[in-house]
Amino acid sequence: MRRPIGAAAGAVLLALFLFPSAAYPLLYIDINAPGGKRMPLAVADFAIGPGDPSLSRGIPKILSDDLALTDLFDLVPPTAHMETVTAAHFSGKPLSFPGWKMIGAEAVVIGKAEAQGDRVSIEMRLYDATQGTLLVGKRYSGTPRQIRSIAHRFANEIVYTFTGVRGVFGTEIAFSARSGKSKGKDLYIVGMDGQDLRKVTDNRSFNLFPRWSPDGQWLAYTSFRTGSPSIYLRNFTTGAEKDVVRFGGTKAPGGFSPDGVWLYAGVSEGGNSDIYRVRVVGGTAEKVVEGWGLDLSPSPSPDGRKIAFVSDRGGSPQVYVKSIGTSGETRISQGSGYATSPSWSPTGDRIAYTARVRGHFAVFTVAPDGSDTREVVSAPDGDCEDPSFAPDGRSLVYTYRKRGYSSLKIISSDGRRQRTLVSGLDDAGSPAWSPGR
Amino acid sequence: MKGTFPWKRAAVALFVAVFVVAGCAKKQTVKTDEGAAGAGTGVPAGSAPGPGDLKEASVKEGPTGTSPADQVASATTATAAGVSVTEEKASQFDDVRFDFDKSVVREDGRKTCQVVADYMKKNPRAKLLIEGHCDERGTAEYNLALGERRAVAVKNYLVSLGVPKAGLSSVSFGKERPLDPGHDEGAWAKNRRAHFVLK
Repeated sequence: MRRPIGAAAGAVLLALFLFPSAAYPLLYIDINAPGGKRMPLAVADFAIGPGDPSLSRGIPKILSDDLALTDLFDLVPPTAHMETVTAAHFSGKPLSFPGWKMIGAEAVVIGKAEAQGDRVSIEMRLYDATQGTLLVGKRYSGTPRQIRSIAHRFANEIVYTFTGVRGVFGTEIAFSARSGKSKGKDLYIVGMDGQDLRKVTDNRSFNLFPRWSPDGQWLAYTSFRTGSPSIYLRNFTTGAEKDVVRFGGTKAPGGFSPDGVWLYAGVSEGGNSDIYRVRVVGGTAEKVVEGWGLDLSPSPSPDGRKIAFVSDRGGSPQVYVKSIGTSGETRISQGSGYATSPSWSPTGDRIAYTARVRGHFAVFTVAPDGSDTREVVSAPDGDCEDPSFAPDGRSLVYTYRKRGYSSLKIISSDGRRQRTLVSGLDDAGSPAWSPGR
Repeated sequence: MKGTFPWKRAAVALFVAVFVVAGCAKKQTVKTDEGAAGAGTGVPAGSAPGPGDLKEASVKEGPTGTSPADQVASATTATAAGVSVTEEKASQFDDVRFDFDKSVVREDGRKTCQVVADYMKKNPRAKLLIEGHCDERGTAEYNLALGERRAVAVKNYLVSLGVPKAGLSSVSFGKERPLDPGHDEGAWAKNRRAHFVLK
């Protein structure tokens, strides 16, 4: 996903160059200032275009729900809106900006939808109500089933316009959970907004540890469906699968290199787990970390030069960082307890992991050099574990477990705000956040 | 916008933006052929776009038209049949139990191993699978590796008692298949185990 984002950034820069007045972020929100000013924004009801009696109804709510998740906006409730948006507002008629200002909105989102056969066409615009200027406008076309992802895309545009950082709406979380029919575990995927939960595997076996490829097109995971564990790569578009690690006993994928060429995995032979990287095409394997103890759970850094991993060489499992191809390895988890499941932030500056404190598991983050350890979340009577960063590094998904109960939760990286993503599935765990969309 | 909108510049910007977006869409659709393993650069990139393409284009003030844009392929779900590994198979041997986060075969476990070793030596054609299991505490990945180490510790101990390696195999189920579904030390102690299955 690096290239599309890079290209999009290029397009924005170009637009800045050509339209310094129109595209300049006049209303900048500092995302690194917790408790800072929130942008008062109104999402107007959509104009109803030809062939669209109902398509557009739900879109303002999807946009509003997305924006509410960021905690960056104050949404002006629809009951306060006074102006009805019509098709004319998309062909030159100006909005009544003083009216929107009067109800407290400093920014206004309008949209219209049209349907032709099995295609829908949706246009959305974000205005600065104070200046009366268009900040960003997009026209999308797709199938009715893609309306949610179209709305998520424009919500990302809105967040990008105000913060300079792309939103993560439309991204998804893969995880494993017991499936109803058998005692096995299957892989599931759910939208980061908690919608569109669906099952990926269905083979009455154990399917574990889903890991996304950098382009979001493949999922690597461990399955016991032949009786013993193998790592498979599943293509989302074709449903095709291939077995990529053809050696060793127990094996679990850790993560892909940023260029998608290598899959890092912990592979056991004779009871001793080492870390390998395996070429996704061809299957050539290289040992990356080896030693007397268990070495497992590799998480590559976003620049591809390092990995965070777990080793119990010191007597208990701890998190280490190593530069690929060198011999030095630095321990970054503290204490004598039990630290596992590192997840390197896509922004590069933090590594999240699980550690046992006060008899329970909690989620911590630490700088890659081992400094500045912070507890993100813990529960007095339960366990918080298996963190995975969002593509923007601003939040984490993790597993909460208490006796037989389990749920997946999303928490801001500073630990200030959290919400439940999935509950009600038995033994949900190992969540992995998809790359950006 | 007022009537002074620079249409020419807008058209140029739109054209260039579309060009940039289209260029990136091209890069996204690197073909990956399942059958061509061993060739290519190894990028597990997106495959050819499906029928339900989503298109996007920038719009400026005024009337709008359609433009080419990048494409998004939707996910599919597939199923595959599996070998059942989710049910506990009854064993004529006791389980070998372990301490928390340990894979050392304890004194009680050694007695069980002696019984197993005697049987295997009397039945040289028998095939024995040793399953390693863990309790529910800790992350699933670490427990999978720990379960393997437990199974291999038992296997090595049987070999030290004179059982030929050829009849022994091992697999770890980590914490995925607890014997006791409880959530207390009594259940955990039963679940940290090596389980024997004659094949």
